[in-house]
Amino acid sequence: MKEISKPIRKVDDQDKIEGKVRYIADIEFEGMLFAKTLRSGRPRARIRSIEIPELPDGYFIVDANDIPGKNRVKMVINDHPFFAEGEVNYIGEPILLVVGPKKETIFEIIEKIKIRYEDLNPILTMEDAERKGKTFIDYEFTKGDPDKAFEMAEKVIEDEFRTGYQEHIYLEPQGVVGICEDGKVTIYGAMQCPYYVKGAVMEGLGWDEDRVRVVQTTTGGAFGGKEEYPSIIAGQVVVAALKTGRPVQLIFDRDEDIMVTTKRHPSVTEYRVGLDGNGRITVLDINIKLDGGAYGGLSGVVLQRALFTATGVYNIPNLRVRGSVLKTNKVPSGAFRGFGAPQAIFGIEMLMHHLAEKLGRVPLDFKMDYALKTKDTTSTGGIIRGEVKLPEIIKEVEKMSDYRRKHKESRKFRGIGLSLFLHGCGFTGKGEESIKGKVTLRKKGKDVEILTSSVEMGQGATTTLRKIVSKSLSIPITQVLYDNPDTERVPDSGPTVASRTVMIVGGLLDSAAKELRERWDEGDEIEVSKIYKHPGYIKWDDKLLKGDAYPEYSWGANVVEVEIDPITYEIEVLGIWAVYDIGVAIDERIIQGQIEGGITQGLGYATIEVMDSVDGELVQRTLTDYKIPTSMDFPKIESKLVRNPYKYGPYGAKCAGELPFVGAAPALASAVENALSVPINRIPVTPEYLLEVLSG
Amino acid sequence: MVKAFRPVNLDEALNIRKENRVIPIAGGTDLMVQKRRWAGLTPSFEYPLLFIGHIEELRGIRIQDDRLRIGSASSFNELLENTLTPSVLKDAISGMASYPIRNMATIGGNICNASPAGDTLPVLYSLDAVLILSSLKGERRIPIEEFIKGPGITNLKDDEILKGIEIPQYDFDLYFYKKVGIGKVTSLSKISFLGLANITDDRIKDIKVSFGAVAPSVVRSREIESRIKELDREEIVKEFNNIKEMYSELIAPIDDARSTAHYRKVISLRLLEAFLTKEVQ
Repeated sequence: MKEISKPIRKVDDQDKIEGKVRYIADIEFEGMLFAKTLRSGRPRARIRSIEIPELPDGYFIVDANDIPGKNRVKMVINDHPFFAEGEVNYIGEPILLVVGPKKETIFEIIEKIKIRYEDLNPILTMEDAERKGKTFIDYEFTKGDPDKAFEMAEKVIEDEFRTGYQEHIYLEPQGVVGICEDGKVTIYGAMQCPYYVKGAVMEGLGWDEDRVRVVQTTTGGAFGGKEEYPSIIAGQVVVAALKTGRPVQLIFDRDEDIMVTTKRHPSVTEYRVGLDGNGRITVLDINIKLDGGAYGGLSGVVLQRALFTATGVYNIPNLRVRGSVLKTNKVPSGAFRGFGAPQAIFGIEMLMHHLAEKLGRVPLDFKMDYALKTKDTTSTGGIIRGEVKLPEIIKEVEKMSDYRRKHKESRKFRGIGLSLFLHGCGFTGKGEESIKGKVTLRKKGKDVEILTSSVEMGQGATTTLRKIVSKSLSIPITQVLYDNPDTERVPDSGPTVASRTVMIVGGLLDSAAKELRERWDEGDEIEVSKIYKHPGYIKWDDKLLKGDAYPEYSWGANVVEVEIDPITYEIEVLGIWAVYDIGVAIDERIIQGQIEGGITQGLGYATIEVMDSVDGELVQRTLTDYKIPTSMDFPKIESKLVRNPYKYGPYGAKCAGELPFVGAAPALASAVENALSVPINRIPVTPEYLLEVLSG
Repeated sequence: MVKAFRPVNLDEALNIRKENRVIPIAGGTDLMVQKRRWAGLTPSFEYPLLFIGHIEELRGIRIQDDRLRIGSASSFNELLENTLTPSVLKDAISGMASYPIRNMATIGGNICNASPAGDTLPVLYSLDAVLILSSLKGERRIPIEEFIKGPGITNLKDDEILKGIEIPQYDFDLYFYKKVGIGKVTSLSKISFLGLANITDDRIKDIKVSFGAVAPSVVRSREIESRIKELDREEIVKEFNNIKEMYSELIAPIDDARSTAHYRKVISLRLLEAFLTKEVQ
């Protein structure tokens, strides 16, 4: 049988290209009503009164009073209300739904509703939150003896970096439909995590699991933006369906989606570095602050990944790593491809670049002095078990990009930058163990159906998971079936997040397929299920934050070459080179898609994606003002994979979805530094920022 | 519901315009966005719409009396594809929006929308474009800089329709156009700059300089231009600080979602400097 990595046509391509696929907005349920959300116009206030006009027949108001269970959305910190209850904590917070058969009338009703607020003092900046000690969560851990190492240090250097918001701009905005029938509710919608939605709805209704069903509809992109957010709106439509007795559709317009859904956490990362007499780093103190916005949600886990990634690919003997999620009266931050790692990798890579420049070293050589090797200890005292192929990765990327020569010959307004990075595969810490993902394969005649809650959201899951099962069973891929998950049919394999789908869920499917293959002749209908167990070597202490934060790591190196317009300071990217170790690719073309999409999204984050908040309100609220890159913005990306099979991954696969995102921003920013000989301390690197930096 | 008129010709359109308070709409690429409400609902307009994009008399690009005559309902892609369109105008248009939007968007719409960031405007100012406004009373001609009064504000009378644009045929030795937007394509201008010049025997014989997106409407000063005319290359370098000072007083940008006033001011003056002290040299 042929090598698994060889690309095949994505199984969902044809229908998507032809426009045959029906997304949630295309599906009309009989008797369906529309809903529109009335939102807070204030960053922090008590609601004094809500004046509702007389409603025409068939129109309803749905608010906190209609929630039979708990008015809190189950996430990790369960603090976001489905509907505001007496107070609001950010502009855009949902207060109520207006539901009815005609959008025109709903619109008129919304415009007539009057809310009287009593404004309270909002916290609008991270600095203000820090001053007032408003945090959701704080962590700290150490390695070695940082205090002593600072005492012994010859020199101490400090540095600080900032990153901004990023909005997902998935092609399809958020949308759900809730239906209530025969004492049961069903939610249809775009989502990454059907069982998260189910759990949240069960709590909101106070119902048990056999009365709540969740069906994922074909999802037009997510990038983390459909990890926790759909739980909020699913709860809202279900309550509306319960009240009206009709299916209720809630779909966001783009501007609304930009304004009120979660975004990547803005960050401030602070570093203190101790150097010995030879200019060697002996100790690092890292403080990572994330802007969580008004509610905690998943932010604590995002912070964990940021902290466990804080030292990047480097082995530093003495460490103090701490961080906090700050509470501000702004739109809640949440999951986004990379999940805290991009902020941490940007900081550490720029710090290493600054140190190399200060010490007069070629950044690549300086970085390699500290690069992790197999059997090294991680910042949390875990062990790097897989073979570290960084030297091979670097050799490849150097050759492709001609980094060394270009770095030596760099001149004013033209520069080259490089980033080294890794990504922890799967859930952080105890995550995989507590989720205990389950998959089932069901043989029916000659066909085998994959039953998993992992969703296709454009990343290729439906193709890669089928490929794994088809190969492990030695049956044609056309005999492997996979439908959008429906919680009445599929077990909880965990959410479609954390680059875990291929390595964890695919691994389970691989072992289920191998068992099914053994038992193939037992009958026409056979079911095989597998439940995830951590490999025995993994040890993790959730209280002390000690041990293996991740079961395995994927690695990468990016080189970016830029030219800066000497008049306008616009950045032109001349070349992008990228090499990764993701174990083994299940499909090389899908991986190429992940690489090109991830890098482009990362370069957008680093350059043009500006989102500011002023007085608690986002300044860039439309696709006119908040722009993401197009295919015209960057040149062709040249990429390669270094093969490095992982023993516990299916066919040796590790993680790949987030990795290509995390290295792009520091490669670009260090290239700009190289071109202009000024330190860059924040992204996005806009022409406006460069004007500021270059004018001193 | 939106009430709308779809006249068969200009005469009927002008009659409707006279009898009713209406909003003329051609491609709709600005209006439909400005007035949008909720997906599935029609945009809300204060007055009935008057569709004019299809009217024959408003279309076509041709030379007439030694002038280029562009019908107001010519789409951007029609202009891009026409050999008569000046290359300076093509350069500005090709940096605007995306292909499908350029199929719909019209040059007349870009003028009447009167956005400070309208990208055809600096070109039309620099080319001394004259607008032909039609009403039942007849036609009147007005230079573009007298037509546009401020952001979204024009001299268009309630009974008028912008029929066409007339552009004198110029040849230029030197041409320097720069648009600064967010990203390379489909973006609105943070700044746009257009410099045109004719040079004979090292002396500037004619010069036209326009700035977009850095003031309520396009910045072009015939007064400053006349002071630059007849300078030779050395004198330009010597005089540059005075010239810059004069333009600096006219450039009054704002901070907005796309850029800062500071950046807009500094960079637009730098573009002027690049044009006068490098391109012209």
